[in-house]
Amino acid sequence: MSPLCLIVDDSRVIRRMAADILKSLGLRTAEAENGLQAVEFCRDTVPDMVLLDWNMPEMDGITCLRQLRAMNLEPRPFVVMCTTESGMPKICEALEAGADEYIMKPYDQGVLLDKLAQLGLVERA
Amino acid sequence: MDDLLQEFLAETAESLAVLDVELVRFERESSDATILSNIFRLMHTIKGTCGFLGLPRLGAVAHAGENILGKFRDGELEVTPRAVTLILKAIDQIRLLLAEMETTGTEPAGSDAELVGEINDVASAGTVASAPVAVEDAPACGPTFSDEGFPVAAELLVEVAHALKHEAVDAAAEAPAPQSLPEPAKAPAPAARTADAPRESESKEPSSSSIRVNVDVIENLMTLISELVLTRNQLLQMQRVQKDNEFKVPLQRLSHITSDLQDGVTRMRMQPIGNAWNKLPRIVRDLAVSTGKKIELTMQGADTELDRQVLEMIKDPLTHMVRNSADHGIEDGIARMAAGKPETGTIALNAYHESGHIFIRIADDGKGLDLERIRAKVIANGLTTEAAIAGMSEQQILQFIFRPGFSTAEKVTSVSGRGVGMDVVRTNIERIGGTIELTSVAGKGTTFLIKIPLTLAIVSALIVEANSQRFAIPQLNVVELVGVSDRSEARIETINTSPVLRLRDRLLPLVSLRGVLGLERGSKSTDRFVIVAQVGANTFGIIVDRVFDTEEIVVKPVAPLLRGTRFYVGNTILGDGSVIMILDPNGLSQAAGQIEHADQEAQDKTSRTAGQGNELASFLLFRTAGSELKAIPLELVARIEGLNAATIEHVGGGRHVVQYRDHLMPLVPFDADHRWQETGLQEILVFSDNGRSMGLAVDEVVDIVRDRMAIELSSARAGLLGSAIIAGKAVDIVDVGHFLTQAFADWFDTSVAQYATRHALLVDDSPFFRNLVAPLLTSANWKVTTAADGAEALKLREAGHQFDVIISDIEMPNLDGLALASAIRKDPRWNKVPLIALSSHAEDGDVNAGREAGFDEYLAKSDQTRLTENLARVLRLAGRGESNDNLRRAS
Repeated sequence: MSPLCLIVDDSRVIRRMAADILKSLGLRTAEAENGLQAVEFCRDTVPDMVLLDWNMPEMDGITCLRQLRAMNLEPRPFVVMCTTESGMPKICEALEAGADEYIMKPYDQGVLLDKLAQLGLVERA
Repeated sequence: MDDLLQEFLAETAESLAVLDVELVRFERESSDATILSNIFRLMHTIKGTCGFLGLPRLGAVAHAGENILGKFRDGELEVTPRAVTLILKAIDQIRLLLAEMETTGTEPAGSDAELVGEINDVASAGTVASAPVAVEDAPACGPTFSDEGFPVAAELLVEVAHALKHEAVDAAAEAPAPQSLPEPAKAPAPAARTADAPRESESKEPSSSSIRVNVDVIENLMTLISELVLTRNQLLQMQRVQKDNEFKVPLQRLSHITSDLQDGVTRMRMQPIGNAWNKLPRIVRDLAVSTGKKIELTMQGADTELDRQVLEMIKDPLTHMVRNSADHGIEDGIARMAAGKPETGTIALNAYHESGHIFIRIADDGKGLDLERIRAKVIANGLTTEAAIAGMSEQQILQFIFRPGFSTAEKVTSVSGRGVGMDVVRTNIERIGGTIELTSVAGKGTTFLIKIPLTLAIVSALIVEANSQRFAIPQLNVVELVGVSDRSEARIETINTSPVLRLRDRLLPLVSLRGVLGLERGSKSTDRFVIVAQVGANTFGIIVDRVFDTEEIVVKPVAPLLRGTRFYVGNTILGDGSVIMILDPNGLSQAAGQIEHADQEAQDKTSRTAGQGNELASFLLFRTAGSELKAIPLELVARIEGLNAATIEHVGGGRHVVQYRDHLMPLVPFDADHRWQETGLQEILVFSDNGRSMGLAVDEVVDIVRDRMAIELSSARAGLLGSAIIAGKAVDIVDVGHFLTQAFADWFDTSVAQYATRHALLVDDSPFFRNLVAPLLTSANWKVTTAADGAEALKLREAGHQFDVIISDIEMPNLDGLALASAIRKDPRWNKVPLIALSSHAEDGDVNAGREAGFDEYLAKSDQTRLTENLARVLRLAGRGESNDNLRRAS
């Protein structure tokens, strides 16, 4: 079974783009529109990786990340924070909250592949 | 077009609609951080998505907007109308670019440097004002676009985007086929995980609960369902002819499934009305800014769903009406404060479902429609004559705003008052089978109530026949069916050449389908049907020859050739394959000449709540010898007959009788010196009670009008209660009791001696009713004392008076009937006296409240026949001194 990646973003367009890229890399995908949906999803099914946007309605990415970590999911999913928010303070905040990686929007297949390879979810060709 | 781009266009359009609404809210409640963060996020998402798709021009505009919103959020910039206007401009620009992309499929060339520059100027101006150093910080939010610098940046962005795209494509090409990837290094996953997996793929995806479907697909599906319904009807028709066979059961199943399918697809086409409201806050906001008014727009029931076809049709009318309210209805702040109203005007939108219809209410608390101006305009535009308008009620005059070419705007602004006003609104709404009602109170505001059907495509319709042709009438408009014949109780009567039907307590105006459609008058059967139909507040009857059953029909639009006629809304194919026309109840009601009537009904409804002294009543106007108009409350009249004068028999003592429904009916002339005609028709007003009838001979029945009961009482002449102004004319009100006693000394079941000395107290604040009921009581040999309200009645108790029965109205000033009843029951002096309530409101709730307060009997004023009947019965009991308990049991 290939790894399952949960894409959390409030934009349908971005979810679809990310899903296309991830699928082309051989991953299975699931989608959530906001942090709350993501947390709900993880209660039932623990993904291998969460691609998490920062700015979202209902529950933003950083809150979602903290909640996911507080749930002590087994096995622990990788979380890649993925947003346009730049600057060290933001990145540090995310890492302290339990993010494994940080990716800048807009990203493309190459960047995403790099991150996934670093996390060991895919093997570089 | 790239479907990812299409998706982007749709998503961004949605976001923009929300942005419009939220920004207007934000401007009002600029301290609300959640609204701002929502706005910021939406703009941010647009910008972010532009980055992914390589849309630099759009991205730059969104970025500028986000920039200024960020400053709001961080408190670096004050929220000013100018700044908000700029953001709205940015949104408009994005919308413009999107529209172009929709047609061309690519981002249009060009630059928005000017707008972006302007926005950044405002953004940095705020920064400079608060802290000069902050200018240096600004770039931290992302690349800045200064006036000169921007185009270069845009080009750069395009290049970068292109480069990224190529890289992406290359990377994809280089990547090995995904399927061949070895199982990733996720070996430590416990077995339980694998077990979970299938479940997740089935239904666990959170966003999979809804999908987006192209409108065309649904429309196409709807057309197919329509055809399916037709085919089903066809099969059912065949089945009906064939009686029992093996197809019966599967056909029933097919029928059910078709109905369910139809429901499902109809629901699929539903959209929340909020979609049509999205634009409104922005429109109102812009209008308020440009006219210098303060206006608040409240919206309730935005999630009420209706068919998207209907939604499309009402979008423009709604916008127009809200504009009208904001532009003409709401006064400016100074005028409002002078009128003692809050400075901020309110326009309230409310939508809700009720009995197969959607209701949309648009109410403002402005100055109301200017009746004088409408009147002047109506005359100036030659829509009617001065004489005609003098006799019209306010409600009737208000209706003129729906006439073509009418616009009340004093100054023609850029916003409304372009002469395409309310007539277009009304036409649009009526085209979809809806109605619109209007109420306006000077100084208080104007309210429109729109009623529209849930869906248009498939409707339930009643199939009827006139002159051997079948027609469909939308079931939604049908209230009831009445079979009429010369022998039955329900008969078609004529007043002033207009046919009417007496139905229970009211006269119903009729329109004959044959007549109105100009169908050949073939063999005219006397056994016909009247379809009681309702359009808005207007109820009327349609005379047809036969009635078949109800069918689900598919509405096909009316052919262009027939579009000019107002009687058809479309046509349909029946189960047996025949094509028939669908009637437009709206058009028919107009043919019945009932618009004025409808308005009176509506007025009736509103004034019923207005309370005492304002009550509307129907009066029958007639003439006797001499030309003076006389009026009689219509409730009292059982029937209007034109009798052949030759059938009237003269009996001894100058008395007249006529054979009427197998009985001899005494006739009483209105004037003592009435000259009985030898030939021709004698108009008779028939009064009935307890199986007995009496006829009042009059010269001519003129009209039936509804008006307020403003009666000047005087007893100058026997047989008259007094005079009143009805429909603008002075008329005498006839005292029916006088003539009743003339015909039958014992009309009210007076076994005289039995309770000759009984004493009744009549409590009613309406002199009219006191004078109506008191004669009934006296003629039944009661001594009557009257009181105008509860307080006056209790004074009589204090003065030591005793009564054998107390009859009281409910709604009265000072002390109302309920309070009076409780007061009476609490005190030993009167607590044994039978207590009868006499009210114009006799719903179950009212009756219960009355009984709880201590009334023994509760009678409705409106039903005159039953009133006299019940009164007589209750009085008999009271007269015999029955105890309260017995009275209670008797009721």
